[in-house]
Amino acid sequence: MLLLNPTSVSFDAAAWPDATAIAIDRKAQRSVIHWTDFGPYAVFADVPEQAVAITITRQVLRDDLAAPVPGQSGILEFFTSPTASDAARKRLTAVAVVAAVTHDLSRTKGALRTITLIAISPDGAADPITIEDADSAPAP
Amino acid sequence: MASTFKNLGLFNSGPHRFALKPQGLSVIPAWHLNPGAPGTAILGPLELAVVVTGRLVAASEAALWTLRDAITAQLTNPPQVGTLIDHHGRQWTNMSFILFAEDDRTDRARAVSIAYTATFLRFLNP
Repeated sequence: MLLLNPTSVSFDAAAWPDATAIAIDRKAQRSVIHWTDFGPYAVFADVPEQAVAITITRQVLRDDLAAPVPGQSGILEFFTSPTASDAARKRLTAVAVVAAVTHDLSRTKGALRTITLIAISPDGAADPITIEDADSAPAP
Repeated sequence: MASTFKNLGLFNSGPHRFALKPQGLSVIPAWHLNPGAPGTAILGPLELAVVVTGRLVAASEAALWTLRDAITAQLTNPPQVGTLIDHHGRQWTNMSFILFAEDDRTDRARAVSIAYTATFLRFLNP
């Protein structure tokens, strides 16, 4: 999931302005795959353990001594819409833990901060990412 | 074709494979039996052992327990011999179901499943 128009990004009640993009990646942390005595092809595959990673890219416009630190936990919230307008606006939330904070400095792009978070499910079965219509969600 | 033990399709809910444990003679160093004796002593033939490894697959937790219970119900003491038949019709007669070892976790994803190893033995002296 790639979100190019995130707005009102906040984490652990702190605003993260100037977010330029958010990517939500899902990968198999552990997969099971089985073959049988019938032939060379797998007959069963499942992914019982998944990891959901959220990567947020922010433009950093000034000195910032309050960057998040790995291990920090909180509720990540942001809004997005396909055209950066109020049409079909969605609110996404997740309990997340910061996994990495890195910076990319260049003359052309300025300072970019990339924050990687691991999304946490409330019970292990529910999807850690909650998506709802922004109209039905509390105002940012 | 489906595999069976005593005409029961215990493992057919999911993929599984058959393998034989080593066959031949059981030997030990002779000094184990007679201190100071050189060489190797023959104890006799190894018992035939067939190992089934696979995964039980069900649509729900309860359905998986039904599969597991059906298998463990065949672990009797004393064991009751039966014929084990693999996917290709190979038959091993007079086999005893002696061990069912599950993997360390039940996997709950699209399906509820668990990996296992089931061991069957043909006792030399039943």
